[in-house]
Amino acid sequence: MRSRVHRHLASVVPELFEDHTPVMSALSVAGSLGAEEQRPVLPPEFNWRDYTIMLLHVAAEIEHSLMVQYLFAAYSMGGPQVPDELREDVRGWQEVILGIAKEEMGHLVTVQNLLTALGGPMNLDREDYPWGSDFYPFAFNLRPLSAKSLATYVVAESPETWSGPEADAIKAVAAETAGHYVNRVGALYGRVDAILKNRDFLPDEAFHEDTLPYQASWDEWGRGYARGERGQEAGNVPDVKSPELLVFGVFSRDSARKALHEIGEQGEAPDLDEQDETSHFNRFLGIYRALTELPPDQQALVARPIAQNPVTAHRLNESTAVGYASVEVTTSPITDPVTALWAHLFNLRYRMLLTDVAHAFRLAGPMDNGGVLTGRGALVHRAFAEMYNLRAVAGRLVELPLEKDVPGGQSAGPPFEMPYSLELPHHDHDCWLLQRDLVQASRLLVEQLSEADPSYAQDPYLIALRESDRRALDQIEHILGRKGCTR
Amino acid sequence: MTTIKELRVLPPLAIGRLGAATEPMDNYTCEVDPEQPLAPRRLRPAPTFRVDPDSGAITGADTPDELRFTDGNGRVRPVAPFLEVWALTSDDVLQPLTLDLLSANDLTPDAVRWRVEVGNHKIQRRTYDDLDKIDADTGWFSDHAPHALMGRCPHFLDDRFLPLGHARYVKPTPEFPGIRLRFTPAAGYVYGSRRPTDDIEDDPNVVDYLYDAAKGTWRGHADRAGDPRLTIPANIYAGDDGPKGTWVSRGYLDDECDGLVRVQLEVGGQELTAFGRIGAGPPAYAPDSIPIRTIADELDQALHGPSASDQDTLEHARDVAEEVLRRATETVRLMNTEVMNGNTVDGRVDAASTMVRQDTADTGRLYEPIVAPSLVDSAAVLALHQNVLAALRSGTAPWFADVLRDHDEVGDLTAKGRRKMPALMRGADGRHLALTRRQVELVRLAARQEIFRQDDESGETR
Repeated sequence: MRSRVHRHLASVVPELFEDHTPVMSALSVAGSLGAEEQRPVLPPEFNWRDYTIMLLHVAAEIEHSLMVQYLFAAYSMGGPQVPDELREDVRGWQEVILGIAKEEMGHLVTVQNLLTALGGPMNLDREDYPWGSDFYPFAFNLRPLSAKSLATYVVAESPETWSGPEADAIKAVAAETAGHYVNRVGALYGRVDAILKNRDFLPDEAFHEDTLPYQASWDEWGRGYARGERGQEAGNVPDVKSPELLVFGVFSRDSARKALHEIGEQGEAPDLDEQDETSHFNRFLGIYRALTELPPDQQALVARPIAQNPVTAHRLNESTAVGYASVEVTTSPITDPVTALWAHLFNLRYRMLLTDVAHAFRLAGPMDNGGVLTGRGALVHRAFAEMYNLRAVAGRLVELPLEKDVPGGQSAGPPFEMPYSLELPHHDHDCWLLQRDLVQASRLLVEQLSEADPSYAQDPYLIALRESDRRALDQIEHILGRKGCTR
Repeated sequence: MTTIKELRVLPPLAIGRLGAATEPMDNYTCEVDPEQPLAPRRLRPAPTFRVDPDSGAITGADTPDELRFTDGNGRVRPVAPFLEVWALTSDDVLQPLTLDLLSANDLTPDAVRWRVEVGNHKIQRRTYDDLDKIDADTGWFSDHAPHALMGRCPHFLDDRFLPLGHARYVKPTPEFPGIRLRFTPAAGYVYGSRRPTDDIEDDPNVVDYLYDAAKGTWRGHADRAGDPRLTIPANIYAGDDGPKGTWVSRGYLDDECDGLVRVQLEVGGQELTAFGRIGAGPPAYAPDSIPIRTIADELDQALHGPSASDQDTLEHARDVAEEVLRRATETVRLMNTEVMNGNTVDGRVDAASTMVRQDTADTGRLYEPIVAPSLVDSAAVLALHQNVLAALRSGTAPWFADVLRDHDEVGDLTAKGRRKMPALMRGADGRHLALTRRQVELVRLAARQEIFRQDDESGETR
């Protein structure tokens, strides 16, 4: 986490600062998180509204990071090495983890709604990796699925009351993998809630219901997924229920607290009910148990042999290690030049996704049943289209070599590297200029791919991507020509 | 191995398209443009039989330079299919019936006899009066003249008939020796009803009056609410508002039809017969697009059953998934998604007959757009479908299986149920359209298995 955020965290995570100067530890008056009865303490440089917004920024980064790591794990699964008898299970597990990642996206978007309702800036940023954050449940680490990485997810989503021999064993694996863990996500939401529920901190007028048309709605983002009825519906894979996407509009203190409560609950199983398959914790635990029942040699076949934390070539031949707790997080530079181009394409489309989401929040949805449409719907669709592109390019990256001329070496994977900035220009026209820049950059990369490997001239996906970029450019030019948004 | 044992008519089902132009439509293929895979399909001219109007013989099979769907004067060129006779000469040999094969069996072309029977029972389907059936029968013929399909009906005005097109036994020649019949559908006109005593103003919609409104009840007919035999939805005929909310027929009829083409041949004292089915539908105004659920899909399901089987390869399942997506993209291109979603358009609420109106009319459900009104800008929806298609072409497993509507979900009127795909469209049962069960199963098969594939093993079976 960036130091500019970190320096304010003494109010939430005082134990981080116990060894520090008396000034810092003096701020640790709030006591440890999770002690909900404790009255929140306002740190210096803030008032309550601004402090709430800062905490929600931290929450957004955590939800974003969890989503990306779960996606990486899900994308790593599969491959021709998976034995026939395991395939149904592996595909089912992948679907479960993808579902959890989608639900994390719902959390991320709901936190943006909270920010919007409070009149704060939205936050789709997160730290690039390797990221050793004091606040984060574990070091941000893009890892293929294994019992070890699963253990960290189980623990990250576990309820406070989880204990017993199995809990101890899994916590030990997680600690060995990712270092000491404290689930600060749920506790962070607890702290935000302690502020939200107090009129002395935030008056009623702090919640701006007139921002609702700008907020994300389940109707726009939920797609075919269930709303509040997970478990009713078969998904892509038999026996795997479709995810429950929680996207809550925020228009009052009560709706803000409900939104936080619901997304907090979807992570942890609140009552440690093992029959309840709805929490991320229980779903991860179910996979962990099934996976660890397999002999170790079979466990190793579940995911493709892909590198941890693949990064693009700007740090060629340099492996960066960052200490976090007792664990070192290592990046894997992609040195194969063709793979690196695919990785850049992935990063670019990831940036396009984040830009589309941020841009959609700038535009109001229609106030009645349609009336006059803005570009908002087009941007929401573009965001979904980029999710599909990310999935497509990730599918390539897990099959492409990390390093050039290393037979039998590791494959790369989706790098998820953050752009230099996610700030949108002030004027809508200029936002569309940025959109055009990104599409043009994509076209350049597709051209470079075709030059790097002539066989890509016949690649069905690249041909289709080139065409869809061309059509997107036409639409953007139409908007820039002030002819309306998409007509 | 030249003895004709059995006959077949191929294709067993041929669908013509109405058109008033003299010259039928040229032959063409419809294929994906490899350079523009997200664009509509490309139509390419293909070899086309030219039938001499006088002799009835085929005079050439050239490929036209360009395709024209009208004659240049606003008249649509009809699609006039050929039906070929094939002969089973041993248990596993099916070959075209030709002059040579006839000759080898000591037969000449005039030994082949044809009979075409077609009908248009649309009025009878509404009035349940069998005297409203319109039928045409050529009787048996062996010559090569065009045989008009004259649709007759007891309730027509005296001496009137409905022209349903014509059938012609194509004269075989040494260059084109096959035995075939050509069905040329009618012009695509609308006809009216009147009483013999009526002094009627010209109705611009009709070209002539055939139905005697004094004999039959079609003009003035209204579907009776609650009749279990009604189509769903009912009232789907040209009409006007009548008393007590009824929908009163104007008495129109069209010249579509369907029926049987029979062929008969006596070989060695034994009479062999076969038949094929023909039908005539409206012209294709988007010939570069394919609807997402077609008769071909129904037949595929009838043949192979509703489930994917061990015979279905992953490659085939992938192709089906891509084809479904491509057709969805082509369909979206033809839709006014804002109106069909039930958005308020230019200040108009409930602007057209849509699934939204039907959900409300049938069940009293709240009149509510199907997906979020902000999302249905037509260009944006089209772009989304194109992007999904692009991503699918990467070899990525289809991830949209869980948003496909199952056959038993067509009446699910929850927000989620109405948003399943295909969306905004009506199926034959009057409820939200679903793909065939087999189409859905194959997409799901691809969704389950794709992640285990490497590029070089795509043909692997389940």
